[in-house]
Amino acid sequence: MNPPAGASPSSLPPVAWLTALAGLPGMGPRRLLAIHLLHEPAVAWHRIVAGEGDRLDGLAGRRGRVTDDVARAWRRAAAVVDVSALWAAHARAGVHVARLGEGGYPSALAHDLEPPAVVFRLGPLAMLEGPRVAVVGTRRCSRLGAELAQRLGRELSEAGVHVVSGLALGIDAAAHRGALGAGASAAGPIGVVASGLDVAYPARNRRLWDAVVEQGALLSESPLGQRPDAWRFPARNRIIAALAEAVVVVESGDRGGSMYTVDEALARDRAVLAVPGPVGPAVAEGTNRLLVEGATPVRDAVDVLCALGRPVPARTRSGHATGPPALDARGRAIVAALDHGPRTLDDLVDHTGLTLGAVALAVEVLVAEGWLARRGAHLERAAGPEVGRP
Amino acid sequence: MFATGPSATVLGVEGRSVTVEVHVSSGLPGFTVVGLPDASVREARDRVRAALLSSKLPWPLRRVTVNLAPSGIRKVGSGLDLAIAVGLMVASGEVEPAAVNGVGFIGELGLDGSVRPVAGTVPLVDALASEVAVVPAPSAHEARLVGRHRVRPVGHLVEVFGALKGEAPWPDPPEPPAPPSPPPPPDLADVRGQPAARRALEVAAAGGHHLLLSGPPGGGKTMLATRLAGLLPPLAPEMAALATRVHSAAGVALPPGGMVVDPPFRAPHHSSTMVALVGGGTATMRPGELSLATGGVLFLDELGEFSPSVLDALRQPLEDGIVRVARARASVDLPARFLLVAATNPCPCGWAGEPARCRCSEASRHRYRRRLSGPLLDRFDLRVEVARPAVGDLLGGEGGEPSAAVAARVAAARARARQRGVEHNSAIPAADLVALAPLDASAVRVLEASLQQGRLTARGMGRVRRVALTLADLEGHEGALTAEHVALALGLRAEPVLQDAAA
Repeated sequence: MNPPAGASPSSLPPVAWLTALAGLPGMGPRRLLAIHLLHEPAVAWHRIVAGEGDRLDGLAGRRGRVTDDVARAWRRAAAVVDVSALWAAHARAGVHVARLGEGGYPSALAHDLEPPAVVFRLGPLAMLEGPRVAVVGTRRCSRLGAELAQRLGRELSEAGVHVVSGLALGIDAAAHRGALGAGASAAGPIGVVASGLDVAYPARNRRLWDAVVEQGALLSESPLGQRPDAWRFPARNRIIAALAEAVVVVESGDRGGSMYTVDEALARDRAVLAVPGPVGPAVAEGTNRLLVEGATPVRDAVDVLCALGRPVPARTRSGHATGPPALDARGRAIVAALDHGPRTLDDLVDHTGLTLGAVALAVEVLVAEGWLARRGAHLERAAGPEVGRP
Repeated sequence: MFATGPSATVLGVEGRSVTVEVHVSSGLPGFTVVGLPDASVREARDRVRAALLSSKLPWPLRRVTVNLAPSGIRKVGSGLDLAIAVGLMVASGEVEPAAVNGVGFIGELGLDGSVRPVAGTVPLVDALASEVAVVPAPSAHEARLVGRHRVRPVGHLVEVFGALKGEAPWPDPPEPPAPPSPPPPPDLADVRGQPAARRALEVAAAGGHHLLLSGPPGGGKTMLATRLAGLLPPLAPEMAALATRVHSAAGVALPPGGMVVDPPFRAPHHSSTMVALVGGGTATMRPGELSLATGGVLFLDELGEFSPSVLDALRQPLEDGIVRVARARASVDLPARFLLVAATNPCPCGWAGEPARCRCSEASRHRYRRRLSGPLLDRFDLRVEVARPAVGDLLGGEGGEPSAAVAARVAAARARARQRGVEHNSAIPAADLVALAPLDASAVRVLEASLQQGRLTARGMGRVRRVALTLADLEGHEGALTAEHVALALGLRAEPVLQDAAA
């Protein structure tokens, strides 16, 4: 529901208390869900303030058992929270707050294995309707990976699919940039974040957050002002997996957040797709393993749409149809030398047997044409010249 | 009774002529030094007295006033001791005034009467207007470098007075044995592989372009940098004189031949303070590492670890070739014309070049980037990545080209630069680039593409053009610069620190 401004504590709705509870340290999704299901939120809050957090029913399970320490930490944190002020802040910021079972709660999450007890949202609820695909990957991606994620984001949006991602650096940000680039008529992007909706993390993605709110929707299970604690990221990844019909991993190491998202997606019987990468470099270790284990390979948005059984727009595949302009032998040799990750000029001289000057000149031309990109002093593959696009 | 004698004091790398005036009169016995002496000069009283007594010379039991003229400038150091002792003997009638006519004195006295060397002999002797210079024996070869004086090396006060009174000739001590010549500089032949870094070293030496080496630990950045001084030609006479003066003023030992003719190589540690680098730390405004590198190479290893204020302080000398050091008591201009070579990891762990291999946090990479980016980075015309050499290169294969062959090309390229009226190509004024470094049509296309990608600013373009010209000079290429020259100049100017692909 939409909170009214300036409510007194006695007149606060239950969801206001749930908002305050969600901001407590160590208040993970399971604990909050237990409180939501078994307790009146206001009562639970007052018992926590009184230091009785460890005696609340439903919090005594073996996993996530609430000990004295946690209860004391809750009590300390709760003592300084002004619930009505917190609630008013949400009203001022225009944040929609909905608890499980209420109107305004995303229907895609309502029947989830582990639904968030409360969801904070900026942007229209309607944005969560329609097909949704998560595009996730490593923060330390290669240029090729970022360009691919961006292209996927744009083409999926153009095809009417909402791109769900975590607004982290690297692949996440690239996918959302692509979705935003598809224009206002395309399906808007959905960002799911670990911190409060007003705490842009990483800070330099601030403008991207604002753009996602503008054209799409931003979700979180953390109240405003909440810092991104480490445990909130895997929890966020489960929401990404729950929202999406399919998860596309663009680049990922063998471990990391994207692999967590994949595990959550498999637990929910979602389709997992992965972009093949070179064998050897760590950026593609995880995605290649997924492919070996049976994930659907993805080259472009068409592959994703086919996997979802959705119609393929005619224009999208044109990039494959026309093919890129040809490279000369020297260019082919240099591009081939970069198949297994970024290289320096020295490496290219070694691989091709050309002189340093000849390599430098060829590289300048290839960079100008879009075949290569610079990464510091290294060179790496890029998506190639822009073709088949208006 | 009154006597005067010439001596000198040093400030920065300049000697200042000082006239020591001694007045001996009746009155209560006492000894005063006036004329802006610092503590070490005031202590001269005790040293001079003990030295005279040890040499069986009389100490006048009268009122003695020593004035150091001009009184306006501050006198520093113990080099005035000998002049004060001689002036005292003249003023008290022990020595004929005529005997010290046209004789200047420099040297510190020991309590036993021995004459000891002081730092800065070259600028000190240079400031002496007299015809004869009496200096401590170990400093004689430095004093002779100035070339204008009859140098009288002395070891003890007794010898000085013996000669002044005409009782004995000036001593002629044998030249001290030359210190062992330093080991030859490391040779470029030891470096295996790494064509880009090699070429960058050669270009840096030929064109005077500042060089930044970046790469993972163990790649051989330091090994390459230490080989740069061996590629530079010997110093021209004026530069050698300046470098010698700086070394003398800083109290750094001069090479066996006396003059500093081989380009110096200075590698201050990254914990060095601002004062150690810039100079001016002592009352004599001792020159720092930047000045000691004059004519040669200043190597800053682990550039990212230097404190930001030190890196900021590099900017003026890189631009003007001098450091202006201002302290409460004095301000001096110290020479600082060096070729800057720096080495750095691209991020704290050194693996930023390879995605997923770098284990640094985003924040620490960002901090590193910020410290290395900006105006200082812009001063490096050459920035190359030094990757770890392949195992095969390390174990097998022949060594690279030796330093001597590269140095010959460097000398030829510098000769071509001199025909253009500059010392080296990086000194070509921007306005003359069009005339001196013409581009052919394909070269213009490469530059245009680079400008369109936003990789190059207008100033950066001038720098690329100078590097391209040096590359052409090294090849002996005549006529307009080709696309290959420009492309290689661009290739040797990589961004040393990673900018995020998708940020």
